[in-house]
Amino acid sequence: MSGFTRRTFIQASGTLAAATALGLSGPSRGAASKARVVVVGGGYGGTIAAKYIQMADPDIQVTLIEKDATYISCPLSNEVLSGERDLDSLTFSYRGLAKRGINVVQDEVTGIDPDKRVVKGKAKGGYPYDKLVVSPGIAFRWDAIRGMSEEAAKTIPHAWKAGPQTLLLKKQLSAMRNGGVCIIVAPPNPFRCPPGPYERAAQIALYLKTHKPRSKVLVLDAKDAFSKQALFIEGWKRNYGDMIEWVPAAAGGAIEAIDPKNRVLTGAVEEFKGDVVNLIPAQKAAALAESVGLTDASGWCPVNQQTFESTLKKDIHVIGDAAIAGAMPKSGYAANTQAKVCAAAIVAALNGQASPEPSYVNTCYSIIAPDYGISVAGVYQLKEGKIVEVPGAGGLSPANADAATRAIEVQFALGWFRNITADMFT
Amino acid sequence: MIRALSLPLAALLLAGAVVAQAAGVRTAPMLANTCAGCHGTNGVSAGEFMPSIAGLDKGYLYTVMSDYKSGLRPSTIMGRIMKGYTEQEIWAISGFYSVQPWTPAERQPKAQPKAKLVRTGKEIHDRLCETCHNDGGREQDDESPRLAGQWAGYTRYTLTQCRSQGERCRPAKMGTRVKGLSDAQIEALASFYESEK
Repeated sequence: MSGFTRRTFIQASGTLAAATALGLSGPSRGAASKARVVVVGGGYGGTIAAKYIQMADPDIQVTLIEKDATYISCPLSNEVLSGERDLDSLTFSYRGLAKRGINVVQDEVTGIDPDKRVVKGKAKGGYPYDKLVVSPGIAFRWDAIRGMSEEAAKTIPHAWKAGPQTLLLKKQLSAMRNGGVCIIVAPPNPFRCPPGPYERAAQIALYLKTHKPRSKVLVLDAKDAFSKQALFIEGWKRNYGDMIEWVPAAAGGAIEAIDPKNRVLTGAVEEFKGDVVNLIPAQKAAALAESVGLTDASGWCPVNQQTFESTLKKDIHVIGDAAIAGAMPKSGYAANTQAKVCAAAIVAALNGQASPEPSYVNTCYSIIAPDYGISVAGVYQLKEGKIVEVPGAGGLSPANADAATRAIEVQFALGWFRNITADMFT
Repeated sequence: MIRALSLPLAALLLAGAVVAQAAGVRTAPMLANTCAGCHGTNGVSAGEFMPSIAGLDKGYLYTVMSDYKSGLRPSTIMGRIMKGYTEQEIWAISGFYSVQPWTPAERQPKAQPKAKLVRTGKEIHDRLCETCHNDGGREQDDESPRLAGQWAGYTRYTLTQCRSQGERCRPAKMGTRVKGLSDAQIEALASFYESEK
């Protein structure tokens, strides 16, 4: 800092000036006041977009449309499988957002008319908007594995959207014999929550270790590598010995077909039979995004990564798991900071200002055992239109860390959950 | 050395700071809002091991975040995150949170610590801490953070960390004071501070 140049002087003081201006309310507002923003989807992305638009410019009318009366968090839902928590502890109401002055509507969106700029709902014909934010989440590619279907998921749970599916998997684990095999079929990239299947293996092992210690967890993977891999393998071993086995694609872990009735999976090399099968299908953006024409050939939504405006439909912004967001993973924290970048861009646009320079973060914890947590973090910036990691920042918990470090990361994981859900719902 | 130079410099900058936003510069709210997923909206934490940072002294916030970045202050994740920001950006984030209103921790009535523990904590505070953390930990400056109303989990963790660092704890006088404390005494202190609204 001793080498303060004129350029850094301007940068620093400019930043300070903006800090005191607190957001984007300025003299240019007025003409654009009472603009209407509609947000579709009340999860990790949508709640934050609605709240931060409302906070930055209370003159904008914000409507949040969500099909369910309450929200059940996917993050931490693996702990339901071990019995460490119940679904109630993951369930949130939208009352806090309504109290802030956001118009929270329970309705199922049936379509969007991008030309007339109207969202169509089942309960109400139309929600007109000036700017639309879509945070719809994911859909499953049922056809990626022969024999798999939405119908088959009634007995072969994915449990990749928290709720009844989580409870179904838990019930099957409770009914499983001691000495049984629980198979987790892990999906190909990209998918929601990259460390999720591997944290799940640990949480299921936590349950089995106490209740059915002769059992196994077998992870059959469509990939040859996964998120926080070395840390998971170290943590699995330390906490559960040989109970968890991971079979990469190269070793025959990629599954081509399933016989749901007999719970038999066909791999490239051999067949696997599970007492419980948790098949997490390959994924794409939610059906709404596809039907409105927000997806490209990849099945995901291309966006301007500075504003999250769709590159295919004007005035529609896509955030969260459904969006193609450069180097960012499909995680809850990623959706949170994307929503804030998107909110700032929309507020700026509605006030006749340029899109602000964005800043994004991801922070993701995995709980391997009640006193054993690990994390990954990433700090991101925009470079030539793409979200890229800031070099030298972010990364993983250290390998072979001491017990106290692993234990405190569980406490931070729980604090993460308390704070991110408070950011969403209060 | 970095800090010794940059604090006064940054203060000078603040004095004359009405310059247009330069292109490519990220605003303080843009930078700071990314912290809220863990530290709560506008820095008011919902607990327990993440501290509330709303309304803390700007110089203190800058020092702590810079020390995370340089590794002088040990951390699990904060070091990894702070390496993603320039000194100017850290100063901007500090400014954003320092002007947010302080809001004390709100613990459910059934989870409140025992009165005796809080009393023990007050005795230790009066003996060892009050000279720098005045008014029961309510007063603050760029070296001494506000402690009154802070989440006990965070305070406990931080004091334990400082004790294990010994002389490397910053500022060094903290290491000296904390050195002889038992786990139970740290627990008592942390409970006392949280109860002081």
